[in-house]
Amino acid sequence: MASVIATAVLSFGGFVSERMSLAASAQEKSASTAEVKIDNFSFGPAAITVPVGTTVTWINRDDIPHTVVSTEKVFKSKVLDTEEKFSYTFTKPGEYPYFCSIHPKMTGKVVVQ
Amino acid sequence: MSMRWGDVCSLEEEKMAGNMKDEILHDHNHDGIDRRGFLKCMAWAGTGAFCVMQGGVLKSYSMSRIAEMNPENVRGEFSFVQISDSHMGFNKAANPDVAATLKAAVDKINALPARPEFLLHTGDISHLSKPEEFDGVEQILKNASAKDVFYVPGEHDVLNDDGKEYLERFGKGAQAGGWYSFEKKGVHFVGLVNVMNLKAGGLGTLGREQLQWLEKDVKHLKSSTPIIVFAHIPLWAVYPDWGWGTEDSAQALSYLKKFGSVTVLNGHIHQTMQKVEGNVTFHTACSTAFPQPKPGEAPSPGPMKVPAEQLRSVLGITDVNYVRGQHALGVVDSTLA
Repeated sequence: MASVIATAVLSFGGFVSERMSLAASAQEKSASTAEVKIDNFSFGPAAITVPVGTTVTWINRDDIPHTVVSTEKVFKSKVLDTEEKFSYTFTKPGEYPYFCSIHPKMTGKVVVQ
Repeated sequence: MSMRWGDVCSLEEEKMAGNMKDEILHDHNHDGIDRRGFLKCMAWAGTGAFCVMQGGVLKSYSMSRIAEMNPENVRGEFSFVQISDSHMGFNKAANPDVAATLKAAVDKINALPARPEFLLHTGDISHLSKPEEFDGVEQILKNASAKDVFYVPGEHDVLNDDGKEYLERFGKGAQAGGWYSFEKKGVHFVGLVNVMNLKAGGLGTLGREQLQWLEKDVKHLKSSTPIIVFAHIPLWAVYPDWGWGTEDSAQALSYLKKFGSVTVLNGHIHQTMQKVEGNVTFHTACSTAFPQPKPGEAPSPGPMKVPAEQLRSVLGITDVNYVRGQHALGVVDSTLA
């Protein structure tokens, strides 16, 4: 009798932990990507805050090429023509200011927590 | 007000008509030449006129009368043409065929009454720094009446490898960073590079090495030597919010204070603008590819769409005439229409 109960408890425990890990990975999935649109000579949103491990994707919707260059030289895109993308995964917390090296008045920031 | 070609008048006729308008050309000669009437003509025509200083007198001729003109009458000491911002490779709505408009600019150059000695290209030759884009421009310019072309890079020309492609093609004989100078008929030309190593939030920049070179380059020239400086981004603060300025240009200009005549020719803003400050005349050229909005008149300085039939009237070339002994150069913008 005891062994049956024990088995039931184990199974239940297993089921719960499975649900929890599913929930956790669902959270990771939605936190793991973010998008910044480049248009009209600006980054939108200009400042974003994301969790560690997020992959940020910049997409150029402007009719002029732009670049995404970290001021601390942490990342640097190639030249992005219209509709081209650049992605970078932030593995360490911190502040990451960046700009467009072609039009340096365009600036943005990624804050990783 | 729209005027047809045939309506463009000569300077003398305008004087008789007594029509005056605000001066927009440079006159620090104070030589009593009435340029106002001429400028009003230019404004009406919209497509400009050919003008040359001869023996101290500014003469203007309608471009529509080119065929009738005797080349001798329209020659100064020499002339050259500035073109800018060809953006070879650009193909969006503002101009799907920049090669065609560049060819139209060459046609305009070839129709000038006096053959220009050379061309100055003030940058953004290519749109994405691609070899085939540079090739495309060089090929088209081979058909110009002026065979020599002097270039300075725009920010679109130095996108990869610190401008390696541009420097290999156009940097021969220049300093390592691409700047250089040369003389033509006693006029000292300086090509500057202000599009490398741009800093976040910044404007165009010349940098210490280039400034030091410039100081030495002009140090021993006589103050009567006319100086022409050409660079891509304007060397005066046209509109800093849009990056239309150069952060260390004041230092460059300080080395040119002693000269009686300094002309600065720039591009980048895709529209003509003039400014006179003491002995320095600043002038920006139209693009041969697409126009951009006037400062602050749009959310951003991007390509400005105009109805297709108007495109050529907002693109253009700049014809520059020099007559020895005159401080002011004859600088004339004409559109491709």
